[in-house]
Amino acid sequence: MTERRLQETILALAILGGGIAAYLTVTHLAHAPVVCVSGGCETVQHSAYSELHGIPVAAIGLAGYVLIAASSRPRTDLARAAGGAAALAGLVFAAYLVYVQVSIIGAVCQWCIASDVVLALLVVATFLRLRAGPAG
Amino acid sequence: MSRRRLALVAAAAGALAGAALVAALALGTGGGSPAKPSAAPLGTRRVAAMLRGVPQNGTQLGSARAPVTLVEFADPQCPYCAEWARQALPAIVRDYVRPGKVRVVFSGMHFVGPQSQTALRTALAAAAQHRFWNVIELLYENQGVENTGWVTESLLRSIGESVPGLQTQRMLDARDSAEVSRLLAEGDALAQRAGVSSTPTFALGRTGSPLRFVTVASLAASGIEPQIDAVLKQ
Repeated sequence: MTERRLQETILALAILGGGIAAYLTVTHLAHAPVVCVSGGCETVQHSAYSELHGIPVAAIGLAGYVLIAASSRPRTDLARAAGGAAALAGLVFAAYLVYVQVSIIGAVCQWCIASDVVLALLVVATFLRLRAGPAG
Repeated sequence: MSRRRLALVAAAAGALAGAALVAALALGTGGGSPAKPSAAPLGTRRVAAMLRGVPQNGTQLGSARAPVTLVEFADPQCPYCAEWARQALPAIVRDYVRPGKVRVVFSGMHFVGPQSQTALRTALAAAAQHRFWNVIELLYENQGVENTGWVTESLLRSIGESVPGLQTQRMLDARDSAEVSRLLAEGDALAQRAGVSSTPTFALGRTGSPLRFVTVASLAASGIEPQIDAVLKQ
């Protein structure tokens, strides 16, 4: 896959993930119901794990997606490395949140799982870009 | 720097940043592991199973968009309220609240004795963490004889520790907060306005419309289900 194609893929995935994170951030801050198949989203959104020192976890995710989207544009090693590091950090955090949902809260939010899938794809895409470098 | 080394550095930085976020969230929520079963009060599993996946907002249980609202006026020390909590509520949650047909709103009262207020304040303090129903239901599961001192700090702490996702110390610290005092006064005013003097008392109606008091035929779910069905058909 070419550098340009990888850049476009990363940007598209970051916009998709950012959209999910923005929706969860807005519903969390507005205490609004979340469109959800099982009702688990509201339980997760209302749990003690939905905030980190008062900051919605979804907002942290949104910031991560913005960083990844921004890193997809410059054709520098620093941007490639920053994108990969941000995506991997997000995936590690997301994996812990899956554990929290299943083992502690006892409810699963489908939006969070969708975001996790996007993050996993972003890790693959950003590290492919990182390995390929400018010539790839 | 070679591409391989750059990828390794990025991977290490990403893993470290992710681990830092995990540690911050786990420490911020009081651990990140489930409560120890040995410290669990009575009814922990039953209450957790009943409420798992059901939205809570303040003292409301169920979806905000549910077409029917049931308000329960109750005192944490009232034995009939505990009977209703054990006999009727599980079926009502299963058949009406979980499918999104009914939301139940708890309006707390504290006239049985001073310990009623202690218990109610603790549950209201958990409302800020959307765990009010877990705490009030566990109080009913562990209820002792009225005004015999059963509402101990140790019971309240063990109830807090057994509720998934609840920060126990935060709940205990918030009991005398202005917000909890406001919720308590709000409940007092509502009961006074509605003329409620005994518990449990129930008011039922379409969400957003005036509610009407209903007389329950028994403290089992079948004692109120016909009234709920009738309002759902309106």
